Amino acid sequence: MSIIKKLALVIVSLSLVAVSSVSSAKPFSPKKPIELIIPAGQGGGADEIARLVQGVIEKNDYASKPVIPINKKGGSGGEAMTYVKKKAGDEHTLIITLNNVLTTPVNQPELGIDFFNDFTPLARLITDTFLVWIATEGKNTQGVETFDDFIALAKGNGLVMGGTGSMSEDELLLGMMRGQFGFDAKYVPYDGGGAVAKGLVGGESDFTLNNPSEQMGFYQSGDSKALVMMTPERNPAFPDVPSSYELGYPDLEYYMMRAFMAPAGIDAEVEKYYTGLLHTVYHDNEFQTFNIDDGKLMSWLEGFGLKDFLAIEYAKHGEIIKNFN
Amino acid sequence: MDVFILLLEGIFVSFEPLNLGLLIFGCLIGLFVGAMPGLGSVNGVAILIPITFIIPPTAAIIFLAAVYYGAMYGGAISSVMLGIPGASTAVATVFDGRPLAVKGEAMTALTAAAVGSFVGGTVSVILFTLFAPPLAEVALRFNAPETFALMVMAFATFVGLGGDDVPKTIFSILIGLALSTIGLDLITGKPRLIFFNIPGFLHGINFLVLAIGIYGIGEMLWTLEETKGKVQMSKLSVNMKEVGRAFGALKKTIMAMNIGSFLGFFVGILPAAGATPASLMSYGITKQLSKNSKEFGSGVPAGVVAPECANNSASTGSMLPMLTLGIPGSPTTAILLGGMILWGLTPGPLLFTQEPEFVWGLIGSLYIANFFTLVLNIALIPAFLMVLRIPFAILAPVIFVLCVTGGYAPTQSLHDVWLMLLFGFAGYILRKLDYPVAPAVLSIVLGPLAEKALRQSLILSDGSMGIFFDMAEKPIAAIIMYIAIVLLIMPAFGPLYKKFFKKAQTT
Repeated sequence: MSIIKKLALVIVSLSLVAVSSVSSAKPFSPKKPIELIIPAGQGGGADEIARLVQGVIEKNDYASKPVIPINKKGGSGGEAMTYVKKKAGDEHTLIITLNNVLTTPVNQPELGIDFFNDFTPLARLITDTFLVWIATEGKNTQGVETFDDFIALAKGNGLVMGGTGSMSEDELLLGMMRGQFGFDAKYVPYDGGGAVAKGLVGGESDFTLNNPSEQMGFYQSGDSKALVMMTPERNPAFPDVPSSYELGYPDLEYYMMRAFMAPAGIDAEVEKYYTGLLHTVYHDNEFQTFNIDDGKLMSWLEGFGLKDFLAIEYAKHGEIIKNFN
Repeated sequence: MDVFILLLEGIFVSFEPLNLGLLIFGCLIGLFVGAMPGLGSVNGVAILIPITFIIPPTAAIIFLAAVYYGAMYGGAISSVMLGIPGASTAVATVFDGRPLAVKGEAMTALTAAAVGSFVGGTVSVILFTLFAPPLAEVALRFNAPETFALMVMAFATFVGLGGDDVPKTIFSILIGLALSTIGLDLITGKPRLIFFNIPGFLHGINFLVLAIGIYGIGEMLWTLEETKGKVQMSKLSVNMKEVGRAFGALKKTIMAMNIGSFLGFFVGILPAAGATPASLMSYGITKQLSKNSKEFGSGVPAGVVAPECANNSASTGSMLPMLTLGIPGSPTTAILLGGMILWGLTPGPLLFTQEPEFVWGLIGSLYIANFFTLVLNIALIPAFLMVLRIPFAILAPVIFVLCVTGGYAPTQSLHDVWLMLLFGFAGYILRKLDYPVAPAVLSIVLGPLAEKALRQSLILSDGSMGIFFDMAEKPIAAIIMYIAIVLLIMPAFGPLYKKFFKKAQTT
């Protein structure tokens, strides 16, 4: 048998496995593999959580069918959201959120995405926050010890900020800080948080607004230091970094949510099943340990609480975008 | 020497039964995903990540690195045997590997690919072992202006790539550049060139879609027309004479091996570049510097060795910034990085001291994986060669199916399959009109990298191009830029020089 025939045989048998399905009676259980749409590229923060969730589900057999992560990074999440919108009523599609699900419908009205009616929110598992980072050896930030030092310096001098791309969370945050503290910076976009961290330590930028895990390696090695964390309380993973509330800036509070949504128009049974599945993942030991060590906040939210949260965040982001332009 | 003790320990780690078993298994999977068009190391590693939760991190990274590595070898197989790039990293291998196979020298092409990969992989892992920390420092200093200068250098070598017809080559480069701007604007985040508002254009044009279309479908149409569906070649034998000839041909590829190994490693350690640009640049530069550069593209072993050597070298190189800086040097290492974080490791400057078993186990395993894949590849060559005995009328539908799967797999969108078919047809017409297509494929890969680096640099310099020529502030960027300019004008002066030289001789 030629190698090509062998390959063809493998492909055919693989596709048969993928198509075959077992039907079952109520309550709902998935009848085919579950597509988990990631509105970002491979290797980013959302991708990491999506693959962790997939791994935890498969390792413990939490679901009867496999979860297949699919990256659709185009158009700041626009491609992924358009895809899920078209899947209305589909019982085997989920999407993990970045905050771009809150900003892209506003920034790209031509996509015709209605955030409140095109999706079924299931649960929020984690919130991640942001910190202001400078390089320990930064040539333009010498002598900066506190966040107030930093503001004083940034006001007079046009500092360079490295970020993860236009209209991403960190650029919106810069816009927010511009309004609050009256300084501006030159924004240079990079490919993802890792490259942003490297640009800072390599001396190309003066500060960044990265989230905890993106800068963890350089924080532990002492190459970069954080001035403030944008939360009400300190985080055990960064014991020496003050919170914005401590410093007297309670308005400087910002979160990135890792929530899951399904397409619109699914049955209540289906919604219940996936929320239950996510709840099992949330309480999994491995999932908890990983996220806490990584400096993330475990923050389960479902049902009306989640809907309220999303409405507030959506309005807040709309406001930030309006002030930004 | 400390390094050697650590390395020996690392090699011992990778000889542990579980690790060695996974290494061999990983190499085999890698060969398969590399050879399957559209799968490639990115998808292969992403699919396998969940499996690694049940084994220790060291075994997991050895396994996934072996998959990554094996894929670099595997990609060459379908490039040579079918003319479809098995993976993005093997596109440049098609340029000369396919013509060699058509000429009846598939054996030479496959041997060159395997040996080239081995040399590239080994040189880079030695460089890795000896110089990891200082090289991490280099990667840290290599920022936007330096990257742009490097891209200009790469483009400069492409102008010579399409043969003598410079206007047609430039046309082809521009087509590639135009296609590469479709999708998301890299800086403002706004969609651009979304034709007819079709959402599929939002993710841009995947470079593999163009490469598989042009080389897979376009070549298939072309070959069907030429051979009328007959067996492509009948005289095919594997005997010692052939083997001797195949290895003999490698003597002329020493320069390609040097360029591929060192350039590949260097490009690999730079963030966000990776093995695909490395293999393309290595091909371009080897061609430019070669004495018989005119023969490139018609089937020379050096044209196979250069990209194959570079892609293995770069894939090892790209693990350096991943481990030491926590930034991916290639799309595949981006996923490996995600994996490391999930296994509870913190990539960064402290990893070498905090997790020596993990780091040195990985490095040790690369030596062994290299050796093992070489043996496996050489041993399997007779099996691969059987593909050529199949009549093309049977092979063509198989190629077609593989192309469609290959177009679909990376993004799982049918939109890309249609695009791939369109490019295949366009590629066929361009070929009939005698346009070179390789430069278009190259520019769609490097276009976005160059655009991003250029715009980042110009933001930093407030719009001044001086940032690329500032010897005092950015010497690396300036030096590369000057070399690029020399490379760019060299072909223009080449004929003049020859003319002058001949005149001087006759008088």
